[in-house]
Formats: sequence, C-alpha cells, structure tokens
Amino acid sequence: MAHWSTFDKETEKETKKLIKCISGMEDEEDQNFQLALKFTWSNFRFHRFLDVDSHKVERSISGIYEKLMVHSDLRKAESWMRLTDEFLNSPLPQTDGKKTDAHYSVLSMLFSLSGSPSNNDFTERPRIKEAEAEDCFDWAKYLMEGEDIDNGLYPDTPVWSEDESEDDDSQRPISREDSGIQLDRTPPEDQDNTNKTVPVTWTVGEPGARAWLEQHVVTPYWVTHSPRFPHSLHLHSNLLNVWDQHLYNTDPLYLPEEKAFVTETQVIRETLWLFSGVKKHFIFQQHDGKVSVRNDVVVTHLTSNCLRSVLEYIAVYGQAVFRLQRFIDEVTGCSSEPCPPGSLSSHNSKKGSEPPFRTYQAFVWALNKYFTSFKEELTTIERELICNDETMTLSAVLERLGPHLSQIKVLHKVFCTGVADVPPATPNVVRASHLLNTLYKAIIEYDSVGEASEQAVALLFSLWTETVRPYLEIVDEWIVHGHLFDPAKEFIIQRNKDVPVNHRDFWYATYTLYSVSETVESEEKLNDSASGSSGGDQSSSSRQLTMVSFLKPVLKQIIMAGKSMQLLRNLHCTEAESSEKSSRDAERKDLYTLFLESVQSRLRSQETSPTNTVTDDQATRRSLIKMQSIVAQHLEMENVHDPLLAINFARLYLEQSDFQERFSGGDFIVDRSSQSVTCQTFELTLRSCLYPHIERRYIECCGNLMKTLKKDYKLLEYLQAMRNYFLLEAGDAMYDFYTAIFNKVQEKESWQQPSFLNVQLQEAVGQRYPEDSNRLSVFLENMDPSRKKHPVNNLEVLTLSYKVPWPVDIVISSECQKIYNQVFLLLLQIKWAKYSLDTLRFSGNVSEDAEVTRKLQEAPAEDVKLKEPVHQQIHRMCLLRVKLMHFVNSLHNYIMTRILHSTGLEFQHQVQEAKDLDQLIKIHYRYLATIHDRCLLREKVSFVKEAIMKVLNLVLIFSDRWQAGFGAWKIESIDKMESDFKNCHMFLVTILNKAVCRGSFPHLESLALSLMAGFEQC
Amino acid sequence: MASATSANLNAVRETMDVLLEISRLLNTGLDMESLSICVRLCEQGINPEALSAVIKELRKASESLKVQQQQHTKCHFK
Repeated sequence: MAHWSTFDKETEKETKKLIKCISGMEDEEDQNFQLALKFTWSNFRFHRFLDVDSHKVERSISGIYEKLMVHSDLRKAESWMRLTDEFLNSPLPQTDGKKTDAHYSVLSMLFSLSGSPSNNDFTERPRIKEAEAEDCFDWAKYLMEGEDIDNGLYPDTPVWSEDESEDDDSQRPISREDSGIQLDRTPPEDQDNTNKTVPVTWTVGEPGARAWLEQHVVTPYWVTHSPRFPHSLHLHSNLLNVWDQHLYNTDPLYLPEEKAFVTETQVIRETLWLFSGVKKHFIFQQHDGKVSVRNDVVVTHLTSNCLRSVLEYIAVYGQAVFRLQRFIDEVTGCSSEPCPPGSLSSHNSKKGSEPPFRTYQAFVWALNKYFTSFKEELTTIERELICNDETMTLSAVLERLGPHLSQIKVLHKVFCTGVADVPPATPNVVRASHLLNTLYKAIIEYDSVGEASEQAVALLFSLWTETVRPYLEIVDEWIVHGHLFDPAKEFIIQRNKDVPVNHRDFWYATYTLYSVSETVESEEKLNDSASGSSGGDQSSSSRQLTMVSFLKPVLKQIIMAGKSMQLLRNLHCTEAESSEKSSRDAERKDLYTLFLESVQSRLRSQETSPTNTVTDDQATRRSLIKMQSIVAQHLEMENVHDPLLAINFARLYLEQSDFQERFSGGDFIVDRSSQSVTCQTFELTLRSCLYPHIERRYIECCGNLMKTLKKDYKLLEYLQAMRNYFLLEAGDAMYDFYTAIFNKVQEKESWQQPSFLNVQLQEAVGQRYPEDSNRLSVFLENMDPSRKKHPVNNLEVLTLSYKVPWPVDIVISSECQKIYNQVFLLLLQIKWAKYSLDTLRFSGNVSEDAEVTRKLQEAPAEDVKLKEPVHQQIHRMCLLRVKLMHFVNSLHNYIMTRILHSTGLEFQHQVQEAKDLDQLIKIHYRYLATIHDRCLLREKVSFVKEAIMKVLNLVLIFSDRWQAGFGAWKIESIDKMESDFKNCHMFLVTILNKAVCRGSFPHLESLALSLMAGFEQC
Repeated sequence: MASATSANLNAVRETMDVLLEISRLLNTGLDMESLSICVRLCEQGINPEALSAVIKELRKASESLKVQQQQHTKCHFK
C-alpha cells in the first residue's frame, strides 16, 4: 500500500470514520474493526454495480413521487419534489456545479438505503433560508451562545438571584463526595437571572453573605448542562471560540460539540486532588485503574486539543499516584494511615492468619512517607490557590511540582518492575528479593548518571534503606540471637523445620537458601548441604543477579554467623547466663541502627573532606605546571620551534587544570545531606557501612562458637582421640589390642568374635584412657567373599567405631569415621605384617637347623648332597626375611612418621587458626583427604596399593611357611616367593621413582628412596 | 474573497440540510455525521450502491454483535 495516493488515504480516513459512526466501534486495533475495514474496502473496490445513471435516478425520483401521490401523501410528495430539486441545484462540498454525478450518486445511495418512505411519518422541518442567514448571521450571538452577559453592577461576578424557592434543591445531584469541594453543603450559586432558584436563606441585604458566597462557593461545573460562568470577552480568553469559529468557517461539515466549560482554577484544583489520591473527579475519570481525561472538557482560553494534551500529561502522573496509593492501601489492609513497620503486626487485622509481609510493609511505609511530604506540598499549593493572592496557572503549578513529578515517575517505575510485574502466585521470598534487587539496581542505574539524577538517587536511597529494614532486622535477629524469625517467609534463607538443632545434620541441612534467578523469574532452591560457604559461592558464580544483590558479598558470613549463633544458643541454653545476656542485649544497637549511624557518619565525614581535596588539587596543579615547564624545556633543547605543538600542549594542560577545577568545584557544591548519596558511592557506602558490622558480628559469633566447642566441648580432644585410636597414635594401648588379635591368628584360633575383640579393646584402652573406653567399640562386618582371597584381607572385616557426642559430630561425622577406618585397616595390615615378621624366631630355626645337621650327619653318604640345598634354603629364607623386613619397615616408617605424624602436626596447627565451624569442617576434611591420599588409598593409585598388599600377603605366607618348619619348605615355593617379592618390589620402585621424578608427590620421596636402597642390595 | 468562501460554505451547509431532509423522508436512518461522511465518500467516487450495501452490512453486523454481548452479559448475571 506504499504507493497509495493522498486520495486513497483520504478515502481510507473517511471509511474509518464511517465504520466508527455506524458500528460504534472506537478502537481501531479491535479485531472486529479491522474486519469491518477489510470488508468495506473490498466492497468499495470489487463490486458489481454499474456506475450512476442520472436518468435512472431521475426516474426513481419521479417514481417515488408517484408512489407518494398514489398513497395520497400529498404533503410528502410535494416536499419530496421540492427537496430533490433543491438538492440537485445546490453545490456539494467538493464538487462544483449542479446536477453532477456526485449529486446523483448521493441520491442513489439514499435510495438504496431507504426503508419504505411511504410508511414513515415525515414532516418537513422548517429551515432557515440561506439568503436570510447569510447576510445577518449574528456571530456574536453564535459565539456567545449559552453565555450570559450581565449588565449589572458587577459584570465579572455571578449575579445573585433574589427569587428563592426550596423545591429545586433536592434535584441537584451531589456528585463530589470525596474531592473536598462539598465540605460545606451550601448550595452552588446560580448565574441565570431567570427564575432559577437558590435555596439559601440569607438575604442579599446582609453585606457579608454575598462576599462569603463569592469566595466560597464553586460553580457546579460537574453537573451536566451546568450554567456557564461568566468570563471576560477579551480575545485572549476566548481562544476556544475563535478556534471553533475558524473550524466552522473552513469545514462546512464541522459540527460543534457539546462542551463542559471549566475554569483554569478548577482544572488546577482537580489536578491537585488527582495527585493527592482522590478517586472521583470530573475532569479526570477512572476506569479499572486507568486515569483518562474527559473528552468534552474545555477552558475558554485554550483550544480543546491543547488542554487535552496538558491534561493527558497530568493524567499519566495521576495514574502513577493512583496505582501507588492503591498498593499502599492494599498492603496496609485499609485506607487509614499506615504505621511504622514495627507496630504493623497488630495493625494488620484484615489478613488475620497470614503473617505480615514485612518487606512490602516497609516499602509502603517509605512510600507513604514520601507521599506525606508530597501531599503537604499539594496542600500548600491549594491553600495559596484558595487565598487567591497571586496568579496561578496550570503550567506554573506543574513547574512547581516538576521535581515531585519526576520523583513519582521514578517511584512508579520502580513499583512497576519491583512489585506490579511480579505474578500473583510468587512466593514472598521472591517478591521481597525482587523488590530489593529492583531498588538496588535502580539506585546503581541512577547513580551512574551522576548529578543529573541526584534527587532520584536520594529518594531511592531513602526508599531502599527503609525497605531493607526487615531484612536487616531478620539478619540481626539471626546473627545475634540465633533465631531466624521470618513468619512471612520473605528472607532468602529459611529454616527447615524438620531438622532439630541437636541433630548431626543441623549444620548442613537446616537452612535453605533461596536464590532467585532474574532472567527466568523462577525460584530455585539451593540446599546448602555442600556447606554454607560453598553454596553461596556457587550461586554467585553461575548466576550474576540472583538473590538479594546487596547481601551477596556477606552472605557467607551471614549464614555462618547465623548458624553458629543458633548452635551456640543451643549449647548455652543449658547454662544459666541468659540474664546477663539480656541485660547486655538492652544496650546493644541492632544492625539496622548501626547501619544508619554509619551511613550518616560517612556522609558527614565526606562533608568535611573538601580540605583534603583542595590540597590534592593544588598538588596536581603544581605537578601539571611542572610538567609543562619540563616539556617547554625539552622543546627548547631540541630546538623545535613548533608553535602548533606548543599551543596544543598549552591547551592540553589548560584543559586538564580546568577540568581539575571543575571537578573539585563540583565536589564542593554537592550537598551531601543525609539523604543524598551521589556518584558511585552506593556500593562503597554499603561496603563501609553495612558489611563491616556483619563481618564483626560474624567474627564474634564464630569465634565464640569455636571457643565454646574447643573449650567446653573438647573438640580438640576428640580430634586427638580419633588420631589416637584410628591412626594408632596411642601406640601402647593400641599395641595391646592388635597384638592380642595377631597372637590369636598365629595360634590359628578364631579371633573374629565381637565379644573377644571388644574385651581386648576395652582392656587395652580402659587402663590408659578410661573416659574413651566406653565410646570405642569394634564391629565385624560381613566381607564379600570375592575379596577373601588373601590372608591379609582377613583383617578388613574389622570396623572400629568411636561414638562422638553431639556438637562435635558435626565435625567428626560418620563419613569421616569411614575414612579414618580405612586408614586404620591399612595400618593394622602393615602392623600385622611387621608383627609376623618380627616374631619369627631365629632360635627355633637354628635349633631345627642343628637338628637337621645332626640328622644329616647320621644319614648315609648319598644323603649328603641334600644337605647343601637345605643350608642354602635356610640362608635364602633368612635373606628373604630380612628383605621383607626392610620393605615392611620402610613402609611402616613412611606411613607412621612421614605421613601421619607430619600431616597431623599441620592439621593441629590449622585447627588452632580456624575461624569458623565451616572452615574447621573443611580443614578436617582436607586433612582426611590428605592422609587417605598419601596412604595410597585412592582409587586412582589402587595398583600401587595392590602391589603393597601383595607384598604384605607374601609376608604373611612367608611367616606361615617359616612357622611350619624346615620340613615343609620346598625350593620351588621359595623361588616363587622370591620372584614375587622381586617383581612387586621392582614394580613399586619403578612406579614410585617415576612419581618422585615427576615431582608431583614429594612426600613419596622417602619411601621411594628406602625401597630403592633395599632393591639395590638384592 | 472571504465573503465568497463563506457564501459557498453556507450554501454547502444548506445543501446538507436539504439532503438530511431527503434522507429523513426516505427513512434511511442516517444522521448528519454519517450523511456527511457518505457525501464525502460519494464525491470521492465510491460507488453509491456499494456504499449502501456496506452500510447495511455494517448495521446488521453491529446489531448482531450487540445482541451477542447482551446475551453474554445475561448469562453472566444468571
């Protein structure tokens, strides 16, 4: 349709008008409207009708005439003939000439539209004859239509009618209950000097009455067909009429519409009322939350379009005010004044069972504060308006309200994105964090604009500080009293109800961190089971704008402090120190107060800072001058006479110093009152005013918890106990225990009886550490038969268990015990191998040896050749034994000293320095992982462990053979043992050497060296 | 010149009055506004019979739309 001519456009416009006119549809975007338009167009373009035929039309005219005559409707017939004749001989708006096609076309259209002309009643209306009207059209009369020109004493004031009657009073509608002007129920004044009535009982004779009325009574402009007020006849105050006249003159088809005349003062007052939240107006109308401007309102001195554009501008703000006001009413539950957030819980009776949503309440409270000041301003303006002392125009009022209006715009924007756009079923936590985030982002956004939006930033900052209050109070309550009080579930962290405090899962599973993803607006639960700290980190890295942004930097601290505090509370609850605590609590300032105080002191300190900037400024300027001189010298030295360069240099420095001046000058002017925070300081403000308090509290809480755990709950002692028993640091006691088992094994007795094991353990431990004896116990596990190939694996059924009491089991969990147990089993296996080698008696062998020798001597000579191999066998056995001993001892040394002892020392050191429980848990885990790793228990290096196990197994087999005596030895088995050992040994040496050479496992070095030494000697 | 234009304007206005009378006599149901739109369209060369057909259709459609809406609201109230 791009090639449409203006003609087509014209037609299109008319077509639209036609559709609107006939179907009554106003909305052009409406689907029905579009359908109708399409239909009309297609009919206009693709029809099967013939062009107008003037003869045919003439025939129709006479046909109708005849028909009317037949019906003996003589008057109608006569009118018909006359009218058609007259029409055909009259000009049309855009067509010159008479009896043109256009004439016939119009008539033809009417014919096809006509519905039984003979049946309807028609009386021709008398028309003002053109000739008469043209010459003596009374323009003044037309313009002044409906106006009253008072010829009395006071032409500008309404005329007082002396006719009084009471009957009219009840009929006058009272339509403005809430806009304030009906406060005095005195009836409105009537301007007509006809016998209209005024139901007032004063008499005109009283001089005060008239003056009072003139001042206080407003024309009921809201009543339909209300009498027009009088006004000056000056051209400037009659622009509307002038414009109307112009339209009338230029457009023959222009129809003057019915108008409601108001004065500018009335418009101003309605505007003020609109802004102050009054819902019922005359000029502005509300339909389901939308404020629109009444169509037919005009003032005499402006054209209706002009007035309309101004009023529509106002209506936008009016709507913003209306929406905000409605939100305030909704949250407070009634239209009365909201109370400060603290006392709201009692106030909020409407919602009853639902706990109050404090973040919204705080936001509303802040909004309300703003609106109170705004309404004060409005009231001042209105009072001035009523006083009538100075001229007030609508534009002056709007200008005066300008800053407020821009603030309302900002508020409304924040409200829309932060509150109104949230879908209704959203949980409170998402709503709250979304609102806070929106405010936060808005502050940052406006902050970056700089001083241009200082007002907005100040407003938003105050709004934010109010809104954030419940959050800070929740945080405060949590990190000070250990009690997460959040009935409306608005805080990003929520307590899982089903986990009691004195449960070992408390630390991991008690709290759920809700993080809100900005993009998808969906809620995700991040169970901080991966410990609070890492939970926070994860979310911050993957989603940029999740949760409540301002808390993110300290979220970990808050979580730690809160959990620590709650734990601490529960630890302390047995102890009687609550009275002391509460007294201290009274003088303690809460987080929010501290925050506000810091903000204020920070802003004040900035106020006093300019002295520094002055010196800075001077210093920079001095350095600039110095630079300039240096450059000048340089230029001179090189004999460069480049005036352009010199000028540019000069300008450069000039500009810079100028910039300096401007910059610092700007700094002076900025008024940093407590409400105004400018340029990039918002995040800094948070960093310096809020985070340190939380940080301090965090250090305090966690320090206390650590102290309590270490002191009152003997955390360190328990950690030591774990090392004592599982890592065999309590060598003497554990020696008693495991030698008892090994002895049993050597004596080929059954040792796998829980009662025997436990008795041994109790005996061994009970003597030295009586307090631990009842915590320790041994279990036997069913081993899966596939692994039960080697004797060395027999020990793997053992499980040592240590009952760790409640608060400590957060650190020493059952998972930790499992790792401890693995190391314990490894140690036990090494100890067993070592023990069985150590206890092999030489003497037995030697005596047997002697016996063998004796036997051999007695034996016949042919047996002598056997003698040599036996000696060789003994020798080889002894050699093998020593080699094995070397291997086992190296391994034993490596693990007991190089690994367990030194790692243990490191661990103890770190534990001393741990700041919070989470860190302690992490350190402990890391420690366990390290020893697990270094004891070669990791899956990845299982082949090394396999080799070691093979050697250990070999040791056990070897000792078994040794015990069996010489007779049982076979040269092949010795060969096999030797070669097996050699293989394993070689394998280990190669592997370890490789690892050491790579340098990735420095701790393996000693083991590799000692094994290598053993290998070289073979 | 001005008087000539205004004379013309008044003449046109007069024509429209006459036309309105004719329209009333023929019982077309057009008011002044729609009549002036029709006149403008006719002058722009729209076929009068097509125009009248369109008007009839539009009237019918909007009538049925109204009836539907009324029924709907009635159902709503029931």
